[in-house]
Amino acid sequence: MQFKTFDIIPHDTKFDFVGKRHIAVALSLIANLAVIVFSLNAVHGLNFGVDFAGGTEMEVKFDRGVDAADIRRSVEELGFKDASVQTYGPESEHSYLIRVGRIALMSQDDVNRVIQAVKAKLPVSGEPHFNSEVGDKIDFQFTRNPTSDELRAVVESTGVKVREVREEAGLTAGTRSFAVITQGIRDKVENELQAKFSDAKPDVRRVEYVGPAVGRELRNQGFKAILYAMGLIVIYVGLRFDFRFSPGVIIALLHDAIITLGYFAFSGREFNLTAVAVILTVVGYSVNDTVVVYDRIRENQAKLKGKNLADLVNLSINEVLGRTFLTSFATALSLVGLLIYGVGTIFDFSAAMLIGIISGTYSTWFIAAPMTIWLEERAEKKKAAAPRPHEAQAKSV
Amino acid sequence: MERSWLWRIGLIAAVALFSVYQLVPSWFYFKLPPGERNGPAYEESVPKWAPNARRHLNLGLDLQGGIHLAMGVDVDRAVKAKVARRADEIAEYLKEKGVPVESAQPAGDGRVIEVKTSEPARAEKTVLDQYNSEMYAPSGAPQGATWLAFKTKVLQDFQAKAVEQAEKTIRNRVDKWGVSEPDIKRKSNNQIQIQLPGFKDPEKAKELLGRTAQLEFKIADDESSLLDAVRSELPACQGSEAGFKMPLPAEGCWSVETVELPSGGTRQVTFLAANNRSELDAAIEKHAKSKLDHDHELGIGEGTVGQGPIRDRYYRTYLLRAKTELTGDYIADARAAVDNSQGAGKPVVVFTMSPEGGRLMEKLTTNNLHRRMATVLDGKVETAPYIQGKISTNGQITLGSGRPYQQMFEEANEIALVLKAGALPAPVTIFEERTVGATLGPELIRKGTTAALVGLLLVIFFMILYYRATGLIADVALALNGLLVLAIMAIIGTTLTLPGIAGFVLTLGMAVDANVLINERIREELRAGRTVRQAVDQGYDKVFWTIVDGHVTTLVAAVVLMQYGSGPVRGFAVTLIIGLVASMFTSIVVTRAIMDFFTRRDTARLSV
Repeated sequence: MQFKTFDIIPHDTKFDFVGKRHIAVALSLIANLAVIVFSLNAVHGLNFGVDFAGGTEMEVKFDRGVDAADIRRSVEELGFKDASVQTYGPESEHSYLIRVGRIALMSQDDVNRVIQAVKAKLPVSGEPHFNSEVGDKIDFQFTRNPTSDELRAVVESTGVKVREVREEAGLTAGTRSFAVITQGIRDKVENELQAKFSDAKPDVRRVEYVGPAVGRELRNQGFKAILYAMGLIVIYVGLRFDFRFSPGVIIALLHDAIITLGYFAFSGREFNLTAVAVILTVVGYSVNDTVVVYDRIRENQAKLKGKNLADLVNLSINEVLGRTFLTSFATALSLVGLLIYGVGTIFDFSAAMLIGIISGTYSTWFIAAPMTIWLEERAEKKKAAAPRPHEAQAKSV
Repeated sequence: MERSWLWRIGLIAAVALFSVYQLVPSWFYFKLPPGERNGPAYEESVPKWAPNARRHLNLGLDLQGGIHLAMGVDVDRAVKAKVARRADEIAEYLKEKGVPVESAQPAGDGRVIEVKTSEPARAEKTVLDQYNSEMYAPSGAPQGATWLAFKTKVLQDFQAKAVEQAEKTIRNRVDKWGVSEPDIKRKSNNQIQIQLPGFKDPEKAKELLGRTAQLEFKIADDESSLLDAVRSELPACQGSEAGFKMPLPAEGCWSVETVELPSGGTRQVTFLAANNRSELDAAIEKHAKSKLDHDHELGIGEGTVGQGPIRDRYYRTYLLRAKTELTGDYIADARAAVDNSQGAGKPVVVFTMSPEGGRLMEKLTTNNLHRRMATVLDGKVETAPYIQGKISTNGQITLGSGRPYQQMFEEANEIALVLKAGALPAPVTIFEERTVGATLGPELIRKGTTAALVGLLLVIFFMILYYRATGLIADVALALNGLLVLAIMAIIGTTLTLPGIAGFVLTLGMAVDANVLINERIREELRAGRTVRQAVDQGYDKVFWTIVDGHVTTLVAAVVLMQYGSGPVRGFAVTLIIGLVASMFTSIVVTRAIMDFFTRRDTARLSV
């Protein structure tokens, strides 16, 4: 201690965290409930990204700023009632994300009409195949080799515009397979934008398709991942400390996960795979602080036997207050750059992470540790009410 | 304690040097302009003393642009094809055993084989004796027939194998085009996920991946004169087949080649030739199609004309018997080899058939001795050599000659690869397609790097401001941590994604986290009145498990993420895992060694 140093948090604070726990728990309950209710589809819902919801997403860059509402109107005029348009990246880039909930444009009627026409004019073998989850694509097999142009002409004679005819190797000997890709959502939206905003030179940068089946699977996997991670962490903490600590950890983890989810619910930012990654990271990180406090509680329990539990917990939290605050502060500091320079997903990642870190520190002080007291007290009361011989032997700490 | 710091500092220095050494290929990789990174220029630029050139940091799809595809394998059709093939086998087998068979064909939903026979009971017993582990006889067969079906486990096995084989095939193909670091994974729901960073043409990717790579063996019918009638309708090609006058006429032309007949003697066989595939297709459509009967078809092969490195390509027909005698599914192994039997060494493809395939091949070659056998890959005739003798389990494919040795050897290698992987067992459909624009890449990577640097600098500055000398020590550890993470990523060939950069930054935050824990504890011990030496020892000892706990819990979350995440999320998880492991090393071992060094005397001073 030869140099003058300072403490951001004085090392001898005596804040009564345990005493404030009722207010804190009430506040947290309200916040958590609000997030959950808000995330329900019936109330407001999460803005599920294409990752989860399925559909077509296009990133379009313009030469100059265009009103997002105008773009939405244009897209909706094409018949996509569920279109969503948002700016993407910094204002100066004039980039927009356009999302529609459909993948294929062709209706079953269109498909049948095309198939009838092709069957009438060309030697089709087997049943042509169309799957709306794959896009505007019909697979044909022929017993002899039509030219691409021939096939294109037949399809276009039904009034369906063809984007591409692709020959694929035949499945069985002597047959030829062709895939007819008709002009789908991308072309339609692009043409419309070219027409309406020709002076702003719309440029489609990227197109993504996700089938609903894939989306569903990803969503289930995401939720499963969060649950598994929580379970494993609780088991680890239980084994390393004591399973008496586990309920407090579970509640703190759930609390932090829900608050982080709140970022996506209230900001309306896209909830996608990266969002699941943030929640998982928050879950993993927030235990960090909790463990520091638990560690100290355990240390003090051994040192200060007979001390009232509430005082013990209060003392422990206060003793490591500087640490829990500073570790979170340092981690938050490393996110600052990402918050300033991050675009799109990365900005959301950093912002949600920051909220998760703050929530993690808060929940360590006000939720996890006081929770332990509450559980202990309940156990004590039960024991007092119905003392049974095998339970009278208190667990050694 | 006295000298142990020496060893530890030595170890740390070694780790640091090793990390720098491992990053040498990455240095040369990023020094090149993006367009040249994946080409031969890169491999040449890496010095000989450096680690393997393949061990460089990769940029993920989101950073350098590329293509993401999820392809669904139509396992249903794979199973049906397998059942149909088994039906053929059963018919052959029963005939061999002297059981009268009228026909054996898939029936019902395509998973039951209906054998029409005058002796159903005997047929059933004969087949089940041979295939008792895989098949059973369901009831309900009509009069004069017996039904044979696969056990459920066998069908599931067929499906799983179909997806597995599709993945293998796709992997081989992607390897062939030389895309750097493709990421190909089998997913549930019979899907295969393919990521091709740096690949620009989605249509080409889909086309190459969606092809079925069907390998078939067919017999050339050189005795037939079906095509001779074409001669009056098309012009004759100028020059001989070995030296056509290029270009060939636009509508295609006919030519003849002299072939040996199995009966002895030779014959002039007519074929069509054209400069490109669509010209040839049109010529066939117009002139040849009508002359074929249902037993024959035209195979299309490729030929080259000329000497030296510049050769003209043309396409030509082979008159084949329509029946596919054998498919590539029976090939157990294949490799490129050199055949020295005709004097000069000639590259060939040597293959080994499965016992079942061997049996079929033996029969086929015995019955067609001295005829030409066409190896048809994806509808294209690769080679059509004479069957010189009986081939059973071991066969050889001779490649068309007249090209440089090296080129032929490479081609032999490629064919061997495809043969080994076999055909795509079923058609694949594209479920998900994402094209990430290349222009998005450089901009985002620049921003990502700036973001990481700003975060890093803020943390470094804070640590020095708050903890002074110990803060500086923590910063050294932090720098080493970053170096170590990058080195490990380069060694195991992980791909750096945008979320990966976020993971990297978060890792740095967590590494600082550990140092804060240590320093705060040391402060506390100093306040309790211990000497510097004691405070450092106590600080590290008491905080050790806390650090481990914090890291392990985050590690748990990261491992779960890696298990369930896909694409960029996985990149994030991998970076986080590597970072956490490195952080444990730097915060516990590295900072302690440095601290011990500075506080090795009891009179030492320490600014915490």
